[in-house]
Amino acid sequence: MIIDGAMNDNAIITVDNLKIYFYTNQRCNKAVNGVSLKIKKGRTLCLVGESGCGKSTTALSIMRLLPELSRIEEGKIIYHSDEGDIRIDQLKKNGKKMRSLRGSDIAMIFQDPMIALNPVYTIGFQIIENIRCHTNMTKKEAKQRAIELLKDMGIPLPEQRINEYPHQYSGGMRQRAMIAMAMSCNPKVLIADEPTTSLDVTIQAQIFELMKKLKEKREASIMLITHDMGVVAELANDVVVMYMGNIVESGTLEEIFKNPAHPYTKALLKSIPVLGRGKNQEIEPIRGMTPDPFKRPKGCQFNPRCDYCTDKCFKMPNNFEVTDTHSVRCWYYKKVLGNE
Amino acid sequence: MESVKKTKLDKKMDIIKQKEKVGLLENKSQNRALRRFLNNRLAVIGLMISTIILLAAIFAPIICKYFPQRVDILNRLQPPSLEHIFGTDKIGRDVFARVLYGGRVSIFVGIGSALGAAIIGVLIGSYAGYKGGLIDEIVMRISEIMMSFPQIVLVLLIVSLVGQSLWNLIVIFILTGWGSIYRMTRAKILSIREEEYVLALKAFGLNDIIICYKHILPNALGPVLVNITLSTAMFILQEAALSFLGLGVPFNIPTWGNILNMAQDISVLKENWWIWLPVGSVISIFVMSINFIGDGLRDSIDPTQQG
Amino acid sequence: MLFIITFLVFLGLELTPGDAVSYMVSPEALANISQQSLELLRDSLGLNDPFIVRYFKWIRGVLKGDFGYSLSSGVPIYKIVFDRLSATLELSITALLISTFLGSILGIISALKKGSVLDNMLTFFGMIGVSIPQFFFGLVAILIFSLRLGWLPVGGRLLPGHETFIDTLPYLILPSLVLGLTMTAGVMRYARGIMLEALNKEYIRTARSKGLSEWRVKLIHGFRVTLSPIVVLIGFRLPMLIGGSVVIEQVFQWPGIGREFVSAVRFQNTPLVMMIALLFVLVMLISSFLIDLFIAMLDPRIRLE
Repeated sequence: MIIDGAMNDNAIITVDNLKIYFYTNQRCNKAVNGVSLKIKKGRTLCLVGESGCGKSTTALSIMRLLPELSRIEEGKIIYHSDEGDIRIDQLKKNGKKMRSLRGSDIAMIFQDPMIALNPVYTIGFQIIENIRCHTNMTKKEAKQRAIELLKDMGIPLPEQRINEYPHQYSGGMRQRAMIAMAMSCNPKVLIADEPTTSLDVTIQAQIFELMKKLKEKREASIMLITHDMGVVAELANDVVVMYMGNIVESGTLEEIFKNPAHPYTKALLKSIPVLGRGKNQEIEPIRGMTPDPFKRPKGCQFNPRCDYCTDKCFKMPNNFEVTDTHSVRCWYYKKVLGNE
Repeated sequence: MESVKKTKLDKKMDIIKQKEKVGLLENKSQNRALRRFLNNRLAVIGLMISTIILLAAIFAPIICKYFPQRVDILNRLQPPSLEHIFGTDKIGRDVFARVLYGGRVSIFVGIGSALGAAIIGVLIGSYAGYKGGLIDEIVMRISEIMMSFPQIVLVLLIVSLVGQSLWNLIVIFILTGWGSIYRMTRAKILSIREEEYVLALKAFGLNDIIICYKHILPNALGPVLVNITLSTAMFILQEAALSFLGLGVPFNIPTWGNILNMAQDISVLKENWWIWLPVGSVISIFVMSINFIGDGLRDSIDPTQQG
Repeated sequence: MLFIITFLVFLGLELTPGDAVSYMVSPEALANISQQSLELLRDSLGLNDPFIVRYFKWIRGVLKGDFGYSLSSGVPIYKIVFDRLSATLELSITALLISTFLGSILGIISALKKGSVLDNMLTFFGMIGVSIPQFFFGLVAILIFSLRLGWLPVGGRLLPGHETFIDTLPYLILPSLVLGLTMTAGVMRYARGIMLEALNKEYIRTARSKGLSEWRVKLIHGFRVTLSPIVVLIGFRLPMLIGGSVVIEQVFQWPGIGREFVSAVRFQNTPLVMMIALLFVLVMLISSFLIDLFIAMLDPRIRLE
């Protein structure tokens, strides 16, 4: 559905009160339970949280790539395109409109390129496929473009590599190739689902460099999913912290790192070692365990593990605004900010 | 604008959502695999039908008053009637009785061979797989050689050398059948062997045999059970084929295949349908039920199935 | 491997009751021989040599085409095999083609339309096909199409005097369909499983994320990957094909190697049994080699090794 009116000339994708439920094993799992965020133009948004908190699911839903036994229950996903706003949540899942967005306006890269790339087709084939799907280039032109892309992504000998298969590439190169494939039609938004988790630390750094370069050169917005606060520190402009299907805090990088307002964010920051703080730095793991999604706590999902928890927390907190870019979902955020 | 229609899947999801809201789904203390199995209608039907046939075979003397070997030349080749539900055969034997008593033998051969092959396959597979080394190599080679013959050919080969008898057949089936379970168990064992809890057990100094059979094996049993079920079906079909050819169980013992042997005669085929058609149908129905059960077991045990 | 198998076959031969001469030399030659000449003959054939020597002599003979003589008919075995081979090949290859193509296509359609009425029907028929004894299916087919309807001949392969392939066709239809259809059921179930698995892979999601049409996603990315397992499938079907032909040839009185094998077993004609078994194994080993070749062509990951 295309609505006229560019209400948010800042945002390229707006997610509003999104709810996604999973129906596997004959049960109903509220994986994403009311998530609202904005991906802003030319900025990198990091979606951070533990495994199972719903961050990948949120990302997949923007691309409408959710698995079969799940669906969007409520909420809006709006893509602010040049022609107006498009309600992604209302498009037919694999319909013409959605497919025209995928790959050319919004692209996605996945965690493990070894299994995300088709093993029986060459890298060149898979990149060219994307190009020819969304543009009118001839085979020759597309091939040229693919070679350029590989070169841009830092893959040596691209004319030769283009005819090779995924298993002939190294891990880092594969991820570059996947990024090349995603960027081949100059998408406005790149969604990256834990792109470096399966890679070496040194290769990770290279991929980060690549992504920063991409953002600058091509003015793409990036949504990066990760569980690693170190990655967030490297790449994020804006951060959204998720826990058990809700956003607990969101803000700019400085705000989140310097003034965490949610107990979970604070605990998260305390639980990871930071390079440079020395070997005597305090690391406190977060007490308790992530609850069973079918036996959720009442109200705020973090309350069993929270130091600030009181009876009020059995009611889900409202979203409070600390500044106009920093919001938090906790009754006691003032206390957290004040380090009490 | 593209409209969003409510599909059948949507409706099913709505129902689950409602149930979850009301709290109906929370206290499922039943084993998940069992629950999935019972949900599978075909598997349950299969279980019921095969049990009925099995019970009919076991309680044959109560159900039918004729003995399968009772010859009654005066009443030969009678079509089905109230007296003889499936009619009589060439020498006057009651076909219904033969089917019931024959069922005993056929089912016994089927299950017996499957269990025997499974026991040997599991024992050898787990120990050879766990220990590795020379024993494993040798056993692998042996099983490869045996599996490079088509099973019927191997069976016939051995029959030609040692002659026909009921027990010979079962032994031969076991000998030709242990290979696939052996392979499967071995693969499972190999994958579990490297897991941490095994290393821990070893560090505690537990005897190899105990580790292998008491701790690793129970985890591999699910697929073995599926295999036993499906093997039973296979062996029943094989026995039928062999006895049909006259090379399976000797003729003095009635089995489903033996009864079908008569159909090799064209006149019987054409004129006396009751002698062979019911038997063949019973075999098909029984094997099909077993296959349903086996498939149901396989689906319910498989952890990747999402139902 | 081949070595061990031939060794075992030779062992089996050795177990033939009676004197080895009876199958090593033609009956005509044996008919009028005196006792002394018999002894000389046995010597010259090396029957008094140690086991290993005899084994190698036998191998040499086999490679030259000397398979020995049938105990029951006295005909040289290689001739029996030769005459019957083409008949069995006709039947088997037709059935193989039917089952492979029909089975894979139906299986894939079934997977693509998972959960639909068509899928459920096909799955059900597949189940029936796998559960019915092949020979029973054959008998029913004969009853309906030959005896009651009279459309097709009851059995056998050719009438004497009519030797062209076209003449064979009416005889070929029923047995190859019976053999082919029962195998189709198995192929279909397997192909469906493979296709479903392929559709669940990560790269399918990646393909969708590029905005490709569903058709392209499923066919070019999904199906292509199933080709290799399906070829493997054919390899596994071969023993079934051989086993099936043994039974079907009996039901339809098709003059092939399978039927020869059965009667050889029945009459304890060990030399013939052994040689045919050896032949079967050879066929399987050759085809499994060919299949490995095919797979290397289809799956680039394997090629480099």
